Amino acid sequence: MDNAENKPADLPDWLLKDENYIPLVDKDTFVNKSILSVFKVLSRIKKQDSQGLTGSRIHVPIHVLGTFLLIMLVSLTRSFIFVIIVNVWLLAVLSMIDSERLVRILKLSAGVTLCTAVVMLPAFILGNTYSSIMITTKVFATITAMGLLSHTAKWSALTEALKKFYMPDIFIFILDITIKYIDLLGELSLNMFYALKLRSVGKNRSKYSSMAGIAGSVFLQSKELAEDMYHAMECRGFTGEYHINNKSELKWLDYLYIVINTGFLILFIYFGRM
Amino acid sequence: MHIPDNYLSPSTCAAMGAAMVPVWTKAVRKVKEEIPKAKIPLLGVGAAFSFLLMMFNVPLPGGTTGHAVGGTLLAILMGPYAACISVTVALFIQALLFGDGGILAFGANCFNMAFILPFFGYYIYKLIKDHVRSEKGEYLGIVLGSYAGINVAALCAAIEFGIQPLLFKDGAGQALYCPYPFSVSIPAMLIPHLLVAGIVEVVFTAAIIIYIKKVSPGTFYKGARVKTKAVYGLVAGLICFTPLGLMATGTAWGEWGADEIKEVVTGGNALGFVPQGMKEGFNFNAVMPDYAVSGLPEAAGYLLSAVAGVAIMIIFFKILSNLKKDKAGNNVG
Repeated sequence: MDNAENKPADLPDWLLKDENYIPLVDKDTFVNKSILSVFKVLSRIKKQDSQGLTGSRIHVPIHVLGTFLLIMLVSLTRSFIFVIIVNVWLLAVLSMIDSERLVRILKLSAGVTLCTAVVMLPAFILGNTYSSIMITTKVFATITAMGLLSHTAKWSALTEALKKFYMPDIFIFILDITIKYIDLLGELSLNMFYALKLRSVGKNRSKYSSMAGIAGSVFLQSKELAEDMYHAMECRGFTGEYHINNKSELKWLDYLYIVINTGFLILFIYFGRM
Repeated sequence: MHIPDNYLSPSTCAAMGAAMVPVWTKAVRKVKEEIPKAKIPLLGVGAAFSFLLMMFNVPLPGGTTGHAVGGTLLAILMGPYAACISVTVALFIQALLFGDGGILAFGANCFNMAFILPFFGYYIYKLIKDHVRSEKGEYLGIVLGSYAGINVAALCAAIEFGIQPLLFKDGAGQALYCPYPFSVSIPAMLIPHLLVAGIVEVVFTAAIIIYIKKVSPGTFYKGARVKTKAVYGLVAGLICFTPLGLMATGTAWGEWGADEIKEVVTGGNALGFVPQGMKEGFNFNAVMPDYAVSGLPEAAGYLLSAVAGVAIMIIFFKILSNLKKDKAGNNVG
């Protein structure tokens, strides 16, 4: 402390001047929003990866098939009662999963349903009550069904299910890389967004071009990563072919799920007649 | 522009999915030809990039933000076929894992955003770039290409929405799926895209390309020179043919629901039963007296508007490119 007091003369002049710089207020909502939306995606990917214990208890290929069947039936049916039954069933399933995931699924489906309701409002007022109510309830059912599938099944299990449905390897391969690289490139762009935010003190007029710079850098980086990945594949002898190792057996829950879905098929035919 | 399930009839979805199969097949083959095996991972990484691009919010006048689709950008950077596959995978992940866009409507969404958008945008870009050989010409191509691409894709979505009340009604004449006819769906889709989303797309695409050009020139996709006449034909045919083909397949695929086919048949043909619905006065169409006054069946109306839209765009673009060509010619000479 004494030292510092004794020789102020050694300090350069500019350090001794009083600084009263107050940064101008700048709007950076779009940077924040971009950070948020990238972050949401990343946390979604990370969450689904760590849900090992509470993951889907239903055999994933069967779950995929069942969800697809349900969406198909809901889309085809003309019976409001059938749609209501499906909705009630989905709500019942929803009520059985943990609250954190429940909120996330419901947030999405409620959001989309609300949006649909707004879109359908003019048609409803002008007398087209049928489709406005039907579509709104149907949208809720399909989005909830999809949410249940994607939130309870691990995504790696979903790609495995696709393999069981004889999806071409190249497609599964691309899908696999995509999910992994959304994570990698998302991390990368997130860091650049943070950097942009930290370095924009006061008014930063070139923020917009920095945004383009971030996207451009992500693209160039993705090109390099893709090449690196090919070399890594070559080194490890991976040719892009997928094989399923485990032979999982159906449990009673799976049979119950099949029975319920068959029930929906029967209901669909029954109400279709009326 | 992501169409959720139940806005489109399942038969429309099936028709759109069927329409995408040859496109996907061709795209995979083309990509295998054009891109060496070492770059196959690029498709996945490219898809991740296009997925992330939709997360980038861009400020809009008025204080809000929006995001770009980037289909034309990807087509310019990696070629239209690779862009088609990348956007398809991105859309698949959005539909399956994020609930954004329907599962059944996946084919329709791919048609609009993975096929029409990148291809249309790319060919407009390429056409202008090849004919106006200057830096300005290339930027003009980027601007017009990305603007046209997103708007044509929006037009396709509007057409898909608009034919729903024409083709699928119940006994009381009420629409089963999307209830809005072309007179509503086309302005509702196109106005925001023409005024807002298109501009976001243009600015974003141009800014990224300028950046990449500066940092790493030579990473761009080099396609073959585009033949003018063939492209005009392709573009015009594509747009006019899309709703027509859809309509035909929509009828043929009627066996999806027994009632649907009955309606289409009792109507005589698809054109015939629309005015009938208007007379009943219970239909949404009834509030659009212009249609009834002109006596134009709505099905003809939509074809007209599609043709008019394409024609206006081609004229606009022709005038612009002509102006630019003269300028570029002067520069060279």
